Amino acid sequence: MTEGELLLRIASMLRQDIAPAIDAEYPKTQAFMAAVVLQKLGQQIALAPEHARAAAADSDALITALTASAAAASIPEGVRRTITELGRKRDAATLCRLIEALYANRTALGERRFVEMLARVRETLRADIERRMDYAE
Amino acid sequence: MSATASEDAPLQPRILEYLRSQFPDATGHALHDVQRIAVGWSHETWLFELGLEEHGFVRRLGLCLRRDPGNALLRHLSDLEQQFRVLQCLEATALPTPKPYWFESDPDILGAPFLVMEKVPGICPSPWGRDGRAFYRDAAQRGRLPTSFTQTLATLHTLDWRAAGLDFLGVPSPGTQFVEREIAKWRELIDVSDHAPEPILTDLICWLEANIPPSDRVTLVHGAYRTGNLLIEDDRVSAVLDWELQVLGDPMYDVAYVLSDLNREGTPLLSNLVERDAFFRDYEALTGYAIDEAACRYYDALYAMRSVAFWMSASGLYAAGRSDDLRLARTAWSVPVVLARAARDLGYWIDARKL
Repeated sequence: MTEGELLLRIASMLRQDIAPAIDAEYPKTQAFMAAVVLQKLGQQIALAPEHARAAAADSDALITALTASAAAASIPEGVRRTITELGRKRDAATLCRLIEALYANRTALGERRFVEMLARVRETLRADIERRMDYAE
Repeated sequence: MSATASEDAPLQPRILEYLRSQFPDATGHALHDVQRIAVGWSHETWLFELGLEEHGFVRRLGLCLRRDPGNALLRHLSDLEQQFRVLQCLEATALPTPKPYWFESDPDILGAPFLVMEKVPGICPSPWGRDGRAFYRDAAQRGRLPTSFTQTLATLHTLDWRAAGLDFLGVPSPGTQFVEREIAKWRELIDVSDHAPEPILTDLICWLEANIPPSDRVTLVHGAYRTGNLLIEDDRVSAVLDWELQVLGDPMYDVAYVLSDLNREGTPLLSNLVERDAFFRDYEALTGYAIDEAACRYYDALYAMRSVAFWMSASGLYAAGRSDDLRLARTAWSVPVVLARAARDLGYWIDARKL
């Protein structure tokens, strides 16, 4: 049994056996809520390896696309520097800074390039949020 | 959801002792029908009746006590004293609200600051549960409550807030200051929640900052006007509750909340109760304000930011060990759900992107 499967089994037990046997309203609700939390956690853990692989591939593709876009035209230094940093760190915090840099340099980038670059970032974020919805909903 | 009264039994003698000090000339003080209810996630709430004998007459006084346990969802933005002041200001207006009696900031009395107000007759069905949804569906068919819902919002938006003394809430200057303040407030809550960075949220905030609709109209804004925050008796609103998010600003902020699909579950009825056309017709007739749907769409996006701030704060409180309530832990998974909705509204899934 994997860790994810174990959590899902405990969640099922909480929901079907333990919570219904509790009379007091508050602890009963807490038991049901614990089942929900464990179920989501179990699904998240079970999907984590597959999601991590997909996220890494998406991140590579995004950095390749943004680097090419930055090389093809003159873009503000703040945006260029953040793209380079993203290539090195590959983390959400730097991606947030890149989005802020795009908005902050919108006029300097020009509307067409701003739209293109932000749309490319959003494409990656869309794939990420769709993965997270596999267990969040 | 409600906790049993026995869980809070140690507090009851202290509540009674406090109330005895408020009615020193009376005798026979006693608490009856003590019930702790969980309304919202910010404050602990008790309903009860205070029995006493005064000048030879025995009477019962319905009271509601709210205590700030210090781990409110809104954290430092939660202000029970401000709630009390707002209720005091609203007492003389036409808006139905509970009469405020006492506020105490001294934690020695009940362990935390608290206020005591009138227990207004009425019920407050949750719109998220099956029974609540059925209640509002039936009330919608009878027709009186939807009208009262809209009339009460119109009363809220047309009351003279300056005459009522509500300018202490902060009067925004015409233009974009009202929205700028809201964005800053929710950004502050996000920052103190110590949550992992969320790029979709960053995109949303940048978009909100780049597209603020100017607003010159200033009214009292409740901030969470929906079924579930209204007390109902005989198919009319008997009290507007939950005075935690009120501001002075654009009334479309409240209207957007009414129009939002955040506040209805599987029904076209606004807030599970009101037909859209009827709401537009009645609200505009009663207030004289034309509903600005573009502004409402903007505010709906702002509500997405606010929701993310709430859920980050809630799950952060649990993660930090400041709350044992598993409802708060569960909200960690509400963050991506709201972000997915925001991404949809920003145009992530369509070609004509909202930029």
